[in-house]
Amino acid sequence: MSLREKINNIVPIRDDFSLKSLLSFEKTPLNVFMAILSVGLFLWMSYGVGVYLNHGHHAYNVTREHPWGLMIAMYVFFVVSSTGLCIISSFGHVFKIPGFAIIGKRAIMGAILTILAGFAVIAFEIGHPVTMVIYNVVSPGLTSAIWWMGTLYGIYLTFIILEFIFLARNDHRWSRLFGIGGLVVGIAAHSNLGSVFGFLVARPIANGVFYPIYFILSAMITGLYLLFLIYGFRYKLKFPPEIQEFLYKIGKLLALLLAILIFFEGWRFLTAVYGGMPERADVALHILTSAPFLYGELLLGMVIPFVIAFTSKGRATVALVFASITGMIGIFFMRYDLVNDSQLAPMMMLKKREYQLEPHWVDYFPSSIEIAISIGAIGLCIILYYVADKLFDLDYSQEDIHH
Amino acid sequence: MANYGMALDYKNCINCSACETACKEENGILMGADKHRIWVGVGEIEGQYPLLDITSNAFHPSQCQQCENAPCEEVCPTHATYYDDNGIVRVDPDKCILCSYCMNACPYDARYVDDRTMTVDKCNFCSDTRLARGETTTACQTTCPTKVRTFGDLDDPESEISILLRTREHYSLKTHLGTKPKLFYLT
Repeated sequence: MSLREKINNIVPIRDDFSLKSLLSFEKTPLNVFMAILSVGLFLWMSYGVGVYLNHGHHAYNVTREHPWGLMIAMYVFFVVSSTGLCIISSFGHVFKIPGFAIIGKRAIMGAILTILAGFAVIAFEIGHPVTMVIYNVVSPGLTSAIWWMGTLYGIYLTFIILEFIFLARNDHRWSRLFGIGGLVVGIAAHSNLGSVFGFLVARPIANGVFYPIYFILSAMITGLYLLFLIYGFRYKLKFPPEIQEFLYKIGKLLALLLAILIFFEGWRFLTAVYGGMPERADVALHILTSAPFLYGELLLGMVIPFVIAFTSKGRATVALVFASITGMIGIFFMRYDLVNDSQLAPMMMLKKREYQLEPHWVDYFPSSIEIAISIGAIGLCIILYYVADKLFDLDYSQEDIHH
Repeated sequence: MANYGMALDYKNCINCSACETACKEENGILMGADKHRIWVGVGEIEGQYPLLDITSNAFHPSQCQQCENAPCEEVCPTHATYYDDNGIVRVDPDKCILCSYCMNACPYDARYVDDRTMTVDKCNFCSDTRLARGETTTACQTTCPTKVRTFGDLDDPESEISILLRTREHYSLKTHLGTKPKLFYLT
């Protein structure tokens, strides 16, 4: 039995897959641009990793007062994307909502690859990733949100890989079972990631119930943006009828979820500012007047996509594909602000002057190496997706529609 | 086994920094502005002459508060941060994965990265050095010329610190967070 047959027995791969097919693609300007962009980003990431391996955390701009930086934000960005794709794809083959089953394989593959990219980023942020794997098992800290988040994400990844394998084998019974498992564990893992920040009693701006809940909502919105981008690119904006119908549905869903998000954010900031509680109200006012929030999160991430989705009743598909680009930039700023804003208020207990003047806000801007690894990982993700698209048949079959 | 704590008669502090130097010397702490287990905060005189606010010109020695309910211990994913038999919050560098969660969770900014082991370090009341040798003092306490610091067993009613805490008013930092600090500032 050849290797190809052995692999085919586990998970069916495309008949036309070969090394040659892997390297050949239609040379349209968009495809060539994407190829250069992805490889360029990946090389940039590789350079960053090379410097990190030589210099460790000294290559980063994280400090005693601001120990978490861009890498943590980018990890969150990727795993939010993964959870979002998983949740939206479960509408079809877990909840059997008509019209959603056709995205199953492509969305789950997207979920697998985005979380792999997230793990790649966090591997270069955690100081001792090998120690982590060992002591996560032999010395589990059950009161730690990071332990639960990491462990549940490990189980989640296993589930969605199995879900994909059974989807590819057209085994809808098992794929549904692992789909349910992936969904439940994914939501648990993701809300735990929110609680990593929500549990910080020392940080009044982050502490509380908001993040664990908001993470699930913003994950679904991220999933919708990514589906617009993935299908916009897959069909070059000329959609077959089933896909067009599906995109109309998620266009409406996007308007609804963005309205809920804007509502959530409104109350989050009102409650944060009201009463003027130190380290909460002042930080919230600072966030509200900062450019990353106003232009990144609010304008690009929420307002532009919402206005397009709402005024067109979700039917301006092409405009929504482009709005999803601004949407994803906005989502990036949501993650960056989440990490950065949580650490804004200085906690230099009684250190009024000894080592440095007490800052009004803790200052942080990522180093070039942090930017290289974090943004470069988008290239890694796109390359993985390209390979997966060549290797597996990610398009829907008639059977997918009926299941 | 003891339940160690420290009382600080902070108004006696003259900001000579001998405690910081002794801590670095005893425990082999690296040099560098953010590599310190203990510190003395300096409040400058506020106001315009002649209405100067001399009470603002105070010295505030501080360090890890050795919380009884330590947020850093609670968030550690691998139990690298743990309470030892003396009630001291300590770090096992072999288990630390440098996720920095403890640095974020500590309300007292008491943790920093030791660049030699690339793990998170903190004050451990000289557990690796003086207490390990059987002594019952810390370097910062022994060296202090104005006797700001009193280190001892909170469970022993006859210890100097227990007597001090019974007889002098004192406060702790950020007690509203429920951390139950074992550093006491005498007023």
